[in-house]
Amino acid sequence: MKYDVVIIGGGMAGLIAGIRCADSGLSTAIISAGVSALHFSSGCIDLLGRTADGGVAREPFSSMPEFLAARPGHPYARVGENTLRASLAFFQEETACAGLPYCDNGDENHFHVTALGTVKPAYLSPEGVFSELVKTAFETRRCLAILNFKGFRDFHPRLAAANLAKNPLFSDWKISTGSLTLPPIAPQGKNPRELRSIDIARLFDTESRLGEVAEQIKEIAPGADFVAVPAFLGTSPRRGAEKRLSLLAGRLIYEVPTLPPSLLGMRLDAALKARFAARGGVFIAGDRVTGGRIEGGKLRFLSTHQAGEDAMSARFFILATGSFFSGGLKSRFDAVEEPILNLALDRTLPRNTWYSSKFLGDESHPFLSFGVNVDENANPRDADGRTVTNLFCAGAVLSGYDPVREGSGSGVAIATGYFAAGRVMALSKTPTGI
Amino acid sequence: MERIETDVVIVGGGATGAGVLRDCALRGFSAVLVEKDDLAAGTSGRNHGLLHSGGRYAVKDTEAAAECIAENRILKRIASHCVEETGGLFVSLPEDDPGYPDKLLAGCKKAGIPAKRIGTSEALRIEPNLNGDIRFAVKVPDATIDPFRLCAANVMDAMGRGGRCLTHCEVSGFLVEGARVAGVRAWDRRGGRDIEIRARVTVNASGIHGLKLCRTAGIELPMYPSKGSMVIIDYRVGNVVINRCRPASDGDIIVPGDTVSLIGTTSKKIPYEDIENLTVDDDEIEVLLADGEKLIPNVSKTRVLRAYCGVRPLVGAFGPADGREISRGIVLIDHAERDGMAGLVTITGGKLTTYRLMAQYATDLVAKKLQVEAPCTTSTQPLPGSELKIPEKKAVKGFSGVPRSVVGATHFRHGDEVKRILSDDPDSYGLVCECEMVTTGEVDYTIKNQLVTDIIDLRRRTRLGMGPCQGALCAYRAAGILNETAGVSGENAIGMLKGFMEERWKGIKPVLWGDALREMEFSHWIYAGLFGLADEPAPPKSAEEPTFDLIRLEKVEDE
Repeated sequence: MKYDVVIIGGGMAGLIAGIRCADSGLSTAIISAGVSALHFSSGCIDLLGRTADGGVAREPFSSMPEFLAARPGHPYARVGENTLRASLAFFQEETACAGLPYCDNGDENHFHVTALGTVKPAYLSPEGVFSELVKTAFETRRCLAILNFKGFRDFHPRLAAANLAKNPLFSDWKISTGSLTLPPIAPQGKNPRELRSIDIARLFDTESRLGEVAEQIKEIAPGADFVAVPAFLGTSPRRGAEKRLSLLAGRLIYEVPTLPPSLLGMRLDAALKARFAARGGVFIAGDRVTGGRIEGGKLRFLSTHQAGEDAMSARFFILATGSFFSGGLKSRFDAVEEPILNLALDRTLPRNTWYSSKFLGDESHPFLSFGVNVDENANPRDADGRTVTNLFCAGAVLSGYDPVREGSGSGVAIATGYFAAGRVMALSKTPTGI
Repeated sequence: MERIETDVVIVGGGATGAGVLRDCALRGFSAVLVEKDDLAAGTSGRNHGLLHSGGRYAVKDTEAAAECIAENRILKRIASHCVEETGGLFVSLPEDDPGYPDKLLAGCKKAGIPAKRIGTSEALRIEPNLNGDIRFAVKVPDATIDPFRLCAANVMDAMGRGGRCLTHCEVSGFLVEGARVAGVRAWDRRGGRDIEIRARVTVNASGIHGLKLCRTAGIELPMYPSKGSMVIIDYRVGNVVINRCRPASDGDIIVPGDTVSLIGTTSKKIPYEDIENLTVDDDEIEVLLADGEKLIPNVSKTRVLRAYCGVRPLVGAFGPADGREISRGIVLIDHAERDGMAGLVTITGGKLTTYRLMAQYATDLVAKKLQVEAPCTTSTQPLPGSELKIPEKKAVKGFSGVPRSVVGATHFRHGDEVKRILSDDPDSYGLVCECEMVTTGEVDYTIKNQLVTDIIDLRRRTRLGMGPCQGALCAYRAAGILNETAGVSGENAIGMLKGFMEERWKGIKPVLWGDALREMEFSHWIYAGLFGLADEPAPPKSAEEPTFDLIRLEKVEDE
């Protein structure tokens, strides 16, 4: 199999790179080993949630220069503000085309509410989580009901309510909780106590049952003008399902992502895959890249579990394999490695310094910033220290940032995926390739 | 301040203290146990969970070995649901002393332990994962025992007979009246109040903490803490206890326990002031994994789940005036004799395997002090869960709609109490923790009957969060359930959730590589990323936090 571009990894970074490459007319394939981290994400796009001194960033672009000054190896520093802005615009266009529009708050972060009732900053969110309508509602409404489906174990409204009640933003709100009853068509053989968010969402893949839920909402939360529910409105991106329910219930409906699988993340995954397919990209699911052949400073072939040795060749490759969870990085007793091509990593600390003392404390865990070291073009170096000129790295496989602590995971994935595609597009126009 | 009057107050909710509480209750004494943390939260819950056959002591200490085999037989009867009769092997590797197996067999014979030399092919048949290079093998009746369920069963039985147990209550000192200890004063952490417990006899079963405690009565009780570290690996790499056939040393045992295996144990003398702040060191992990792999080569391919350590309470040497060392391992002190301080008894030393015997010794002395003739019956009275000894197959048949695996896991953990835990109502058998198959019914049962006040207590009773995912999904669910059905406020439930993740982290940090690191990245995404929990300061444990006896047990309706 021969393509112009082969992308290893079908998460956010790989999909953004893939859509852009395919859009520019390059024959593009994505090889994806399985479910990506998008399935565990909130579906909101965080760009930068913290300032240089660790406070909450209100305006990410204003906070960025000072933030990056102390982090010269940060992926944002390499990408630059113009490309970063262009990548976010690209993301918004693509998701809007897929029926899952993402809204911004000008240059300011907005916040979204988590299943534990904490509020987190985000830069872009799907319409149901942030829009002018939602913004106005947060400013004007004061009566919130947090509802669950009876027996659904992956969302607990009273915990969310307890945290929200402590938050100054909600100090003058009246917050109540309650339970909805699911339509009696639980998937066959499943204990209703064991339903996952996706099982419930499948019940609502059409709108036929929204009326029933709307009636229940009106009955359970008669005084509430704002209603938070676990994300359940279908598994695929559908423009305005929450708007429809809001209309039917006469209250603003707000979906909260639950324990994995996270519906809001899955819808984004589906939207991006649909855009990639619409551009003619080839998505190879369920195959794992096992190694590659680097010759003369270029990656020539990839071997995969299914297709075999040297089965894939391309002029350009993008490595977007993610971090440890996705298998883009591997750790052994006292070493970290990039397992497919054994690329040079940025930091090698002794093992007892990979983590900080508290799991959920103020300190960042160093292992979260580990990754492949790349140059200004996003080219990595191989084990011998030679630059691989037709390979570009994007997303969490990169070193130099802590996606969770900084609140930058999605932003970096979008920006570096877009940037890698840009490098490929620029070089593909030169007659010799590179 | 609350005042309680009782015959006996017991300090320490480890196996010994729980055993004394039950023994007192069976003999008709009113008794109150006070524990600063949770049941089995100290040394009792931080060992390798081996029910010794006595083989480990047979060569050097016949008396301790004989005690072990006697108690081994008793516990298999009275605590059958806490014991898994795995059997055990002592195996020699080529580099081990070839003379040791004969010494072991001779020692076992002297102590009355039914040990039998078997051929290496027979040993490999019993345990196919064993290193094929073994030279000798001796079969012994080792078994495994779950200290958490053992303590809970002792306390639950005692409570059913009028005993009281106050967990999360820290004894701040003895009530000293002249030359007599008249009870204890304690601080109820959850209720935020002082409690004074006046008792005719006070039993110190606080293990390593006895040194500090005794000082409050002006008594010096020298203790020399020795740290033992262990590594837990995912899955059972073997189904029998594998001992290295050599004099006791680091890394000489692999114990299967529930769904995992454990490699033990190191031994390091540590300063007394370090006992509250122990960590497992890198060199200990390396030794344990390297030696474990020698016994069962698959260890190197198995994911390491966590590492932890406990403190052995070794008591200092006793002169003739220091009281009675009733066996080489078990120490019973009548402080009236040793220190001229009436009303106080210390029971310490010993092993998890001999906890019942230790409790019997201590309670015999209590009875003498109370001047009551009341014989000990703990060697014949089964614990709740072990009364009927329903075989698993029969237990499974009792539930038509519940998956067999769920009944099996619940029955394994709670014996014949399974009938009080599960029912054909789907609510009772919905899984909260998929790794360990802990159901809503089991969570409710332990909250109602076994003094569960937070997620960590719940873990000890049920194994929730102890499997491969280390609580990634079930900890949040458990927090929700505690809030909804146990009267824990939402704010405290979130604090408990954070506390639980930090508690898991302590044991994972030392083994943070490979799959453990991968799993924790996932957990971190969920709790710090998706839930934003890292941004939230953990709420201080407020005085309003309910204690177990304030917990409302009926379901709380949604507002």
